[in-house]
Amino acid sequence: MKLLRNAVVYAACAALFSVVLPDLLVAQNIDAIKLLQPAKDSWPSYHGDYSGRRHSHLTQITPENVGNLSLAWAFQTEQNAQIKSSPLLIDGILYFTVPDNLWAIDARSGHQIWHYLYPPNKGDHIGQRGVAVYKDWVFFMGPDAHMVSLNAKDGKVRWNVAVADANKGYWTTMAPLIVGNHVIVGVGGDLDNLPGFLKAIDPETGATQWEWDATLPAGTPNTTTGGMTWIPGTYDPDLNLIYWGTGNPTPVLTGKPRPGDNLYTCSIVALNPDTGKLVWSFQPSPHDTHDWDAVEIPVLVDGVFNGKPRKMLMQASRNGYFFVLDRTNGESLLTAPYGPVNWTLGVDKKGQPIPNPEKEPARDGRLIAPDEGGLTNYRSPSFDPKTGLFLVDAHPSYSIYFAKPEDGDYGWAGADYGLWGKGVLDAIDYQTGKIRWSHELGPDGAGAGVLTTDSGVTFTGDAHGNVLALDTSNGKTLWHAGSGAPMQSSPITYELDGRQYVVMGSGGVLFAWALPQDTVASESQGPSTK
Amino acid sequence: MKRSVTVAFLVAAVFAVCQFRQAPTYAASSDEHSTNQAAASAISGQAQSADVHSADNVGAKIYEDDCAICHGEKMEGILPAFPPLAGVRRQFSPQQITDLVRHGKGRMPAFTKLKENEMTALLHYFDTSQMISVASIGAGSGAASAHSSALSEIGGSLFQQNCAFCHGRQADGGETGPDLTRSKLVAADAGGDKIGEVVRNGRPEKKMPRFNFSEQEVDGLAAFIHSQAAKAATMKGHRRGVDVTDLQTGNVAAGKRYFNGAGNCVSCHAPNGDLAGIASRYEGLELERRMLYPEDAKSKVTVTLSSGEKAAGTLAYLDEFTVAMRDASGTYRSWSLQNVKYSVDSPVNAHVDLFGRYTDADIHNLMAYLQTLR
Repeated sequence: MKLLRNAVVYAACAALFSVVLPDLLVAQNIDAIKLLQPAKDSWPSYHGDYSGRRHSHLTQITPENVGNLSLAWAFQTEQNAQIKSSPLLIDGILYFTVPDNLWAIDARSGHQIWHYLYPPNKGDHIGQRGVAVYKDWVFFMGPDAHMVSLNAKDGKVRWNVAVADANKGYWTTMAPLIVGNHVIVGVGGDLDNLPGFLKAIDPETGATQWEWDATLPAGTPNTTTGGMTWIPGTYDPDLNLIYWGTGNPTPVLTGKPRPGDNLYTCSIVALNPDTGKLVWSFQPSPHDTHDWDAVEIPVLVDGVFNGKPRKMLMQASRNGYFFVLDRTNGESLLTAPYGPVNWTLGVDKKGQPIPNPEKEPARDGRLIAPDEGGLTNYRSPSFDPKTGLFLVDAHPSYSIYFAKPEDGDYGWAGADYGLWGKGVLDAIDYQTGKIRWSHELGPDGAGAGVLTTDSGVTFTGDAHGNVLALDTSNGKTLWHAGSGAPMQSSPITYELDGRQYVVMGSGGVLFAWALPQDTVASESQGPSTK
Repeated sequence: MKRSVTVAFLVAAVFAVCQFRQAPTYAASSDEHSTNQAAASAISGQAQSADVHSADNVGAKIYEDDCAICHGEKMEGILPAFPPLAGVRRQFSPQQITDLVRHGKGRMPAFTKLKENEMTALLHYFDTSQMISVASIGAGSGAASAHSSALSEIGGSLFQQNCAFCHGRQADGGETGPDLTRSKLVAADAGGDKIGEVVRNGRPEKKMPRFNFSEQEVDGLAAFIHSQAAKAATMKGHRRGVDVTDLQTGNVAAGKRYFNGAGNCVSCHAPNGDLAGIASRYEGLELERRMLYPEDAKSKVTVTLSSGEKAAGTLAYLDEFTVAMRDASGTYRSWSLQNVKYSVDSPVNAHVDLFGRYTDADIHNLMAYLQTLR
């Protein structure tokens, strides 16, 4: 009740101010500008900027000198959990996480400034993908679906609010997305039949500003639950739309209790960030029965398509298809598989794959490509504007899927087994969907995120634990270092004191790479650095 | 009543943990927590007075008065801050426990005023209470002793945090992880001996990570998994996984034709040779998975050194920078790829090539044929 009252008061104030003093508000709010136009000495949000391209304009590290890249520092979390988070860099401080743990460390030296340990809880500890920062406040998700706001200076807790009920089976792992005065957060929870949703939280009070529900409440006859929202979306400030991927329907492997397309599961949705109202949707996997969340990053690119300038949205989806959409209205520009895919009857007029009913899990098994982990998963791809390449960590794979009436209609409701897979970095030409080059990453799969820079260098990792720098134009290896564990996060880069750093997590260690200090000093006097 | 006592101790202890760490201050709108806190203080008043009367044993009373607040009424601990003491006698000698109690360690305070006979009583309490728990877990029977259920509760909590995502909330299979309630390894496990090995070492080849759980934590996990297996065994229907009977839809003659024809399996395999008796060695899903892709198949590698010398062996490692093998004597050798040339022979790739060509009927028919090779 109190929350509701706060929300009403807030909304009234916001309305008043936005009418009377719109310019003043924007001008005072330098954080919004920092998020819209990130400085080179920052990585202020999960993707680095709102586009989700994970592409940096930095050019100090080049294809010519990347061979000299060396370790600047490493930070040991001393935790068993793998680092799955993408660090943020704000005012010289990196913020990153593993489940229950949040660190603030010095981006120059890698030493700890503070550490926050979340209290013991029964939430699912499957991963933690990072935090959001707005003004002086850090927003961190506990495994038990709570949002904690902490003081960025010292990690002191300001408030802790539940965004979902962990006892029902929800959990949270994501880095929230800050848009204007909204902390936007989604949830996980597909072990139970639960509706997925997205919430905007007031950064000051923790009150819920709006909620968008992906599916109807559990128990609604002949409808689906699911549609979890566990990876941060992207934002177009000109169209004032946020783009978000939603997860698989539940029950997961059996489709009978939930006939039809199962909107809005396995969908890409465009929402108004101020109201949470749906503007358009596109469904990569109608009536999914293979656990292929469509939460992979909806990457926003302005460029030419078929000779026309377009505002596009691109997603390499877990189900094996690469999609290019017009992000003003969700219309399809291109749908093309980027690896082995055997579960469709083709693509419909809207550009959506048509699932083959014969490839739904069955008692005697169905051979399915890709496997349940998908042709790619949650780690970020990268878009390189110069080459027009969409670079994605791909996982060509096969598996067998089973389901039978005895499996029931709750939660998993079936079984699947991976048979074979490998890792490949695919460079997709966004105008044709053709793969211009592939770089083999090793058996089973790599699972590393991808970062590109304006100088033409691509950073990622292989299945063995090697960190790789590749030539973006042709995929050739320029540099590598063994990090001891496959990278399960997406790299970031920034420039501090005239030195460009590339930061990535492997296992429980955060690594910062840079050119040797002396070569940076001499180069910064030369013509190669801006 | 018993239930509320446990809740009171647990909740009180959880709050003690939070205070200890000076971590969270639950301020705005944390209804769930503030309600629990109020309830906890209300219940704990009753709980304490009830306990004084029920204590009929010196060791048990000392435990309840001095230890239970942190280590739990049933020795279940509050992880990760306060270790469970269930199983402590298998980890420490009486002298070590006495030292820990008298001198403290880390955040554990020293209990300097405990008399000799009280210490003995406490040790006796550990001994007597823990024999029950070990025996009941070893049996894997779900016998309803308080201690095994407490262990199973700790294990359940750990399981939900660390294992449920892959193995399912009820341990009956989930994303990527197998159904543990039907696992042969679990069936063969006694008191965590087999489960512990997998948990501590992981199974990197199957993407199962390793966990540094303590002995007590592994005991707890094993107790939880066994209790789930026992539950699943008594449940009719709603079983997940694949039964041998599920995989009998194929046609033997068509499978044999595929083996000798379109599948070209005959180019590497012989029903009277390497596959003789295969259906006696494997069955059901295990046989089908091996048929589709034998994960343990080895590749051969030949490495040509810059000197022209050649080395051959079983491929042990290969990335784009390093190649390694085990030679005929079992010796491990590796080279930087800058210095050598190599060629790999992986017959198993024929299985990968088939993935794009099989129909589901081909697989079921082939399975039917292989099942005749007994």
